[in-house]
This record gives sequence, structure tokens and C-alpha cells, in this order.
Amino acid sequence: MLLLKVENISYSVTVKEERKKQFEILKNVSFKVLSGEIIGICGESGGGKSTLAKVIAGLIKPDSGKIILDSVPGKERKSSPIQILFQNHEEVLNPYRKIQSIIDEALKISGVDRSSIENGREKVLSSVGFPEELYNRRGMELSGGEQQRAALARILAVKPDLLILDEPFSAQDVESQLNLVNLFKRLNKEFNLTMICISHDLRILRNLANRVIILKDGEIVESGITKEVFDNPQKDYTKFLLSAESLELTYEEIKTPIKN
Amino acid sequence: MLIVDINSVLLIDWEKRKTILQNLKFDIDRGKVFTILGKNGTGKSTLIKSLTVLLPSEHYVVEGKVLFDGTDLLKSSEDKLRETRKHKIRYVFQDAHGSFDPLKKIKYYFDLSNVSPLKIEELLHFFLLPPYKKLSALHSYELSGGMAQRLLIVLALLANPDLLILDEPTSGVDYAVMNLILLKIKNFVRDNDKSVLIVTQDINFALKSSDYIAYLSDGKLSRFYTPEDLIISTDIAIKNIIESFKELSNASA
Repeated sequence: MLLLKVENISYSVTVKEERKKQFEILKNVSFKVLSGEIIGICGESGGGKSTLAKVIAGLIKPDSGKIILDSVPGKERKSSPIQILFQNHEEVLNPYRKIQSIIDEALKISGVDRSSIENGREKVLSSVGFPEELYNRRGMELSGGEQQRAALARILAVKPDLLILDEPFSAQDVESQLNLVNLFKRLNKEFNLTMICISHDLRILRNLANRVIILKDGEIVESGITKEVFDNPQKDYTKFLLSAESLELTYEEIKTPIKN
Repeated sequence: MLIVDINSVLLIDWEKRKTILQNLKFDIDRGKVFTILGKNGTGKSTLIKSLTVLLPSEHYVVEGKVLFDGTDLLKSSEDKLRETRKHKIRYVFQDAHGSFDPLKKIKYYFDLSNVSPLKIEELLHFFLLPPYKKLSALHSYELSGGMAQRLLIVLALLANPDLLILDEPTSGVDYAVMNLILLKIKNFVRDNDKSVLIVTQDINFALKSSDYIAYLSDGKLSRFYTPEDLIISTDIAIKNIIESFKELSNASA
């Protein structure tokens, strides 16, 4: 079932300092997301990945194009059906507020009645593996990984139709990365939660995403079933990313620009 | 070149003394890349700072010896240490922007290096940074995080140190730049008979860049392994990260 349609999205910014020069951040981006899928979006820094996430979530208005979400019918909501787990999660959680109160508020927003809040809190926090002894801690009293899980729990509390993960694996060691991949896979299965995962890490996307979109300079270069794209890349840029990841590029290859 | 024989690094918190690192014993030879692998918060940065007395003495005690070309750095004068860190043992810390004085233009740092603009230009070009003239006129806060980090590596290389110490060189840089750093490290070590010590949690980079890798966990450092031996190590902590790395790399969705 189709959940999201991204149609011909373009977005540009004007930089005053550079004589009002226009920079195209996204160029005519279109793709579809099916319900229950995990889609990976990868590419280098500055390729437009995070901007695309913000456009999809409605945080940035594109210059042209449409975002059509086929939301679950009959669901009245006070929160956006598309939620983002931001990269800088430490800036998303209120550092002075207890995690328990942050989650309770999100549950109230999603319409959970007072008597079921305790139950709901326990459910979302345990589903992301957030330990009970930390419920009464404040944002600032948690490690980066704990904050990330708390931020994820708050998102789950408002029951989004689509969850966007923006570079969730950066600055983590492999064991934490693997735990997180397994957590996302489990949430995807248990709640049939559709996800878009933005990451420059192809290795992790190969493990997590059913389909993958390769973005370069704001344009989709290649897309398809993750395994097929990575095992048999058609475009030079995809090949470049794959050898870059295995740290096997020569100096000439790094320096030579690749056309889209 | 560098013989590390540290019994313990202690943190003094009010009256209490807490051991953070113990039994750090290893030699760094010329012409090789050494990596200390470890998770966040295991004390990797503390370890490299303890080598040249960079930890504030009111909070830390380092017990042992660090011999650099025969001299014990832990017993050296502040002047001698500053000279050593300027010319012989250069660090590139993780917080790239924090390593610059925001009030100074980049030219200040180029001038400090005492290297000709032509030579600097060569390195800037290699790291895909803007040309000397353009960069000289900028302040550090006008650079992106990735650029600032590459520039720090350039500045460290300009000093032509005997030992280059890199703290998480791959964090926040994309793969193309990671490849550049890898190529440069290998050239630096091979062509000049120098050494590099990396501390990182990036196992992929460690395996590709290093001649020897040790693992730091719970304040203890394993012995140094070749990358081939690390993969088949029977040490339980090492085995766990290797398994996680393989599982992450091999599985498909």
C-alpha cells in the first residue's frame, strides 16, 4: 500500500553574501514509499539528504512539488504524522525535564487518557530499550545513546505513520550501531512502522533498508532494491561511494568529479 | 621512538582517587601506523593526553614513564614539553573548531609553521581545501567542521613531526575525505620514516589504516595486534566488536 508520494520536489536558497546567488539544494526529486518499508537515502555531505527529510516532514516548504501522505483514515491527531529523529538529539530533549514527563506529555498529545498513561509510558520506553531506572533522569543526565533512545520513545508515543531517521548512527561504535539497527528492524516489524533512514553509511543501509536512494547534489542518481543497487551499481557515483566506503579509492579517483 | 610505560592514570576528584587507565605499556616504532580502538568514554583521549602531560595536574596523576628518544616526557620541563608538542609530537584533536583561536585569521597559523606558501599550497591542494591565499584571509569559524579538521591535519603535517597523534580522525568527515586521510597517513609514514598513533572507534578505518591495533576497554589496553590477528583474536571484548562489525557488514535487509 502506498504511504507517501514525493513529487518533483525542488528547493533552492539564495545566498546574500554571494551576490544573491541561487543554490539548488534539491532538484526535481520524486519517489514513492510503501507502507511498512524501510527506505535508505544515502550520499555525501551536502548532497541534500537532511533538507529532503525536512521537506518531507513539512519543516521546509519546497519551491515546487508535492508531498502526499496517505495517512491512516479516521485518525484524528494533534501531532504530525511524519516525525524526524534528529541527528543532534541532545538539542531536541529538554535538558532540565525528566524523561518520564517528556514521554507523558507526548502520550497526552496522542490522545492517551490519563488512566492509561503509566501503561503507555512503560510500553514505549521499554520498546526502545530505555531502562526503567532512568525514567526520572533529566535530559542532561543521560549519555548520547540514552538521549537518542528517549527521543525515539517520545516520537513513538505520538504514533507516527512515517518515521524519518537523520544520520542515527553517526558517532557510535559498531556494537551500538548494530543494536540500533536491530532496534529499528524490530520497531518496523512490531508496529509496521514505515521508515526513511538517512545515512552516509552504506554498510548499515545494506543491513537495514529494503530500498535505497542515492542522492548527489540534490538529484536522485540511482534507486532500487538495496541489495541489487549495491551488488550491481549502474551509476559511476554509486560505484564511487562503494569504493570510498571500502577505503580503496586512489587519489585520482577522489579528485576526479563524477557527473550525475 | 616512543616507549610508553605508564602504570596508571588517576583522576583526583576532591579527596578521592580513581584509576582511569592502568598498565599502558607499548612501544611506538618508526615507519608504522598504530591504532588504539575503543568505544566512547573508554579514555582514549585521556590516554593520548597522558603521553605529553596534557592532562591538568590538579585533576590527574600519571604514574610511570614515557620515553621519547630517551627522555622521560613526564619529568620534562614545561618549555621542553611545549617544544616537543610543537615540533616532534603533533596532535590533531577531535574538536577541530576548538583548536583554533577564533580571533586569528588562518594566515596566523600558516606563518607559525615557518613553511613556504608553495609547500603549504601543495598540502592544501591534496586535501581539497581552498588555495593558500583564499584560506589565509578566513577565520576558523568561517570553515565547515570537515574543512577545519582537514586544515588541522595540514598544519600538523607542516611541522613534519616524528609522531602524529590523531584523535577520531574520521568522525564527521565523509568517505572521500576519509580516503584522503588514509592515503596521506600511509605516505607520511612510508616516505619519511615517521609514526602515526590513532585513537578511534572506527574499526573499518583502523583495519584499513593500521600496522598494529590495540583495544582499550575498562581502562585496560590489550596488546597490539596486526589487523589480520585482531580479527581472529580470542580476547572476548575484541571478539565481540569484530562479531558486531561482521554482522553489520554482512547482513542484508
